[in-house]
Amino acid sequence: MSKLHLFLTLIPLLPFLCTSFSPENPSSRRVLVLFDDLALKSSHSLYFKSLQSRGFELDFKLSDDPKIGLQRYGQYLYDGLILFCPTTERFGGSIDLTAILDFVDSGHDLIVAADTNASDLIREISTECGVDFDEDPAALVTDHTKYAVSETDGDHTLLAGDDFIESNVILGSKKIEAPVLFQGIGHSLSPTNNLVLKVLSASPSAYSANPNSKLSNPPSLTGSAISLVSILQARNNARILISGSLSMFSNRFFRSGVRKAGSPTKYEKSGNEQFLTELSKWVFHERGHLKAVNVQHHKAGEANEPAMYRINDDLEYSVEIFEWSGRSWEPFVADDVQVQFYMMSPYVLKTLSTDKKGHYFTAFKVPDVYGVFQFKLEYQRLGYTSLSLSKQIPVRPYRHNEYERFIPAAYPYYGAAFSMMAGFFMFTAVHLFNK
Amino acid sequence: MAKNLGGFLLLVLAISICEAASIFQPISDSHRSAALELFTPADESFGSLEEAYEALRTFEILGIQGKPDISTSSCQSVSETLVSSSSTTNGLFHALKVNRILKCKIDEEIFQGIASRLKAVVNDGNSLLDFYYSIGSLVLVKDQTSGVDVLLGDANGIFRSIKALSQSDGRWRFSSNNPESSTYAAGLALEALAGVVSLASSDIDHSLIVTLKNDIVKLFDSLEKYDDGSVYFDEKLVDAHEHQGPLSTTSSVVRGLTAFASVISGSINLPGDKILGLAKFFLGIGIPGNSKDFFNQIDSLACLESNRVYVPLILSLPATVLSLTKKDQLKVKVNTVLGSSAPPLAVKLVRAFISGSKDSSVIKTQELKFDPENAVHFLDVLPKSIDVGTYVFVFEIVLHDSVDKEVYTTGGQTQVPIFVTGIIKIDNAEIAVLDSDLGSIETQTKLDLARENAALLSANHLQKLRLSFQLTTPRGKFFKPHQAFLKLRHETKVEHIFVVGNSGKQFEIILDFLGLVEKFFYLSGRYDIQLTVGDAIMENSVLRAVGHVELDLPEAPEKAPQPPAPHVDPYSRYGPKAEITHIFRTPEKRPPRELSLAFLGLTLLPFVGFLIGLLHFGVNLKNFPTSAVPATFAILFHIGIAAVLLLYVLFWLKLDLFTTLKTLGFLGAFLMFVGHRILSHLASTSAKLKSA
Repeated sequence: MSKLHLFLTLIPLLPFLCTSFSPENPSSRRVLVLFDDLALKSSHSLYFKSLQSRGFELDFKLSDDPKIGLQRYGQYLYDGLILFCPTTERFGGSIDLTAILDFVDSGHDLIVAADTNASDLIREISTECGVDFDEDPAALVTDHTKYAVSETDGDHTLLAGDDFIESNVILGSKKIEAPVLFQGIGHSLSPTNNLVLKVLSASPSAYSANPNSKLSNPPSLTGSAISLVSILQARNNARILISGSLSMFSNRFFRSGVRKAGSPTKYEKSGNEQFLTELSKWVFHERGHLKAVNVQHHKAGEANEPAMYRINDDLEYSVEIFEWSGRSWEPFVADDVQVQFYMMSPYVLKTLSTDKKGHYFTAFKVPDVYGVFQFKLEYQRLGYTSLSLSKQIPVRPYRHNEYERFIPAAYPYYGAAFSMMAGFFMFTAVHLFNK
Repeated sequence: MAKNLGGFLLLVLAISICEAASIFQPISDSHRSAALELFTPADESFGSLEEAYEALRTFEILGIQGKPDISTSSCQSVSETLVSSSSTTNGLFHALKVNRILKCKIDEEIFQGIASRLKAVVNDGNSLLDFYYSIGSLVLVKDQTSGVDVLLGDANGIFRSIKALSQSDGRWRFSSNNPESSTYAAGLALEALAGVVSLASSDIDHSLIVTLKNDIVKLFDSLEKYDDGSVYFDEKLVDAHEHQGPLSTTSSVVRGLTAFASVISGSINLPGDKILGLAKFFLGIGIPGNSKDFFNQIDSLACLESNRVYVPLILSLPATVLSLTKKDQLKVKVNTVLGSSAPPLAVKLVRAFISGSKDSSVIKTQELKFDPENAVHFLDVLPKSIDVGTYVFVFEIVLHDSVDKEVYTTGGQTQVPIFVTGIIKIDNAEIAVLDSDLGSIETQTKLDLARENAALLSANHLQKLRLSFQLTTPRGKFFKPHQAFLKLRHETKVEHIFVVGNSGKQFEIILDFLGLVEKFFYLSGRYDIQLTVGDAIMENSVLRAVGHVELDLPEAPEKAPQPPAPHVDPYSRYGPKAEITHIFRTPEKRPPRELSLAFLGLTLLPFVGFLIGLLHFGVNLKNFPTSAVPATFAILFHIGIAAVLLLYVLFWLKLDLFTTLKTLGFLGAFLMFVGHRILSHLASTSAKLKSA
């Protein structure tokens, strides 16, 4: 009875529950959080609290709960998925590797935290995202020169990472001063995947190995090739965050002070909270999600969009671009938005001028080649969702009566013809009536 | 469930790795600041009295002074709840609890009314929660006022009816028609029964107390255990709604147990290490992130702090990383769970062994000195036998007073991993190029690994590169670091890493380029050499550029492996592209206007010549018909010709072909007609002239 009741109350909500990030209804989003132990809910609560305070509805479940599912009746129940279950070998319910990949393929966001002894399932999910964790299950990222000084941790696996990606859109405009504490496993990025990016890399002296066994062969992961935290933005703008440490999300690391070995500055609070909160803003599209609207083009001096252009016409092109700020669409300010006039290859590629209020415009002359062209706006910037607009427009040559008349160079021909005609008229009169 | 547990184990493991295995720190200032953060009232009051109680109780236990002042608003809702006749036992219970801390002004009569209401509930109660809240409230009323009669007449009967809900394994049911038993309920039942005992007007039947003690022992058989010695209760049934996590279940049992132990005479037969294990469980959680968990943790620890079963003593070390170079002292603290000082005791360092090899102790058993000022037990100087390395120290707490042994539990020996670090001396570092067959030294450079070096070497594939250095510990022993890598990086960013091995007392690596040419992809050129020496116990781990070696390797044969594709900068595909502008076709070259005009003049010349010719020959129009009709036709004929020519001009200027042809059709017909008339007239006049 109670289930039926629940179901009935859910029915009117269904349309709101099941979308990925959509420009129409971007707020109030549901996120499924899967744990392998519910104690994580309390020990990592600061992270969840920051999400909840930003309006996310978190649904905490055990990863082997038989009732969990990502979709029902073909509709997705959640907009995001957080996997804090590094040891889970199999999910309960209908969730499996394919279900998660489908979830991402339909544009939903994913956060994965692995840890030592990460299960094959978590590794497989990461591999699908272009992230290869160290194969040795006991390996930890160790760094003997750039570790976080601690009275009680002696094996230098607690790293103080400060090698961040340089991107304001991913990490926020405020610089992260304090190093980020990290303890876990390292990964490398698949060279064939060019969408995945290192957000936090290890220092050149780091290596990934089991701290309790002697090294006889060089470790597979060394130096700054080790990525500690990586992100991926899929072509459908689904965003994924993969971290090799679950404890970096924990309250303990959030609150803990940090001092990097060899540096005299002691920070009262580690950079974890800022780093991960800002990253979660990016992952859940509160930053760097662009939309382009109101694409207009017309001949110079006119207001309406023509059905086709003639070669050598002067045209004006404009577009408005907005960025989602978490609550509203704000004008997007940049100076590197470019438009292409494209047929097989770009004939014109021009950087748009902007009024700093989200309006981008430019003017150029249609090339003297006719055919079916496209206005193409391909905007791919680090951290931003890619904009890809194209609008087809044919370009025709001059009509026969649009060419130039009364060319001076042709005056001798005109003169010859008309003097001939005048002569003919005179001749007819003279010939007929001469006596 | 097992997987579930595994996850928690992992978490604890993760925590324990950083906090050094099985070290539990008592409650400290970080808890206090976290408490102030967690229990922040929204606009001057908490959402419910329960939350207010949790906050007040936590502040009370932690002794936080600068707490937010909520007494006015809370007192108001307390008196409202107590006065209202519609408030539930649950509401009353929490209101009384808040009142116990805040001591609001409540009239005696109100307590009187509540007490009689509660007694009625107790007497016809049938569910455990009814009993729990009503008895708990009565106990609170008894504590807060002396003038109200709260004693239960039929305490034995009530005791029995609560006991009737218990199960054979020590757990309880929530009510008689709910078959599922729960550990959480057992805790509530124990607390309620403790209340019954304290409220009883006459002594409770002794046999009831004895059976209940047995139940408690049985309940403790269901304890779950972690590797680090902490134990906890977990609910067996996992129901979405009423499921309590391990923390709230354990804290419920601890509350019930301590409450019960404090009201009965005689002890409960529970082993001390289980109580210590429970304390370790609560401390091992660290700082919980939600207020409920935080309250449960702190409240349970407060219960354990002063319970009558055993008071756990926690041995903790402020630092487990000791520097041999800085002559750090080994310090040990013994506190109760809330961090208050322990009874007089001594800490003995029983053994110490190198972690991984459990065979022999490296030191003799000794007692640590006590510094009463800081309440720290310490070891002055680390013994000579302790060199840098990772050790496991085994401590034992010895209580001075034999009476204390009945009160406190210390958990026997405690194993603590200790990292002894120090500065490792790096000597005799040198890099050399050797001739392959003879082994004679071609070039040799001394290195100082304390700073960056820039040795310049060159070698070909028939030679060898040798790098060697020596590491000695502060105690003068030979040291083997965990990380000793030599990295060669070619200009094209191809890297090769080698582990530097040790032969005897010397670290040495010999790179025989002849065997390595294939691995180096036959890439000649400049290689950067980098040496990394590091270890957890080495305070001066280094990452040093050693220099460069110019390698001259043979040409790659055809089937040689290709070097990996050069790394493409992943950011290159972002960034704006270069602008493209279309290059328009240039218009054809035209003659200057003057030239065209000159030629125009030239083309007009024949016409002018024609006119001059006409004048020269003296042309006339004398043949023009004189009579009216032919003259009209002649004029019309010439107008027609002029019209056709004008039509051509118009065609040139603006008309299209179709209009022109149409008009030309009409004009042509007209011209035919008038032309025929005038020509036939002219022909007839000339024939007449000839015949005449």
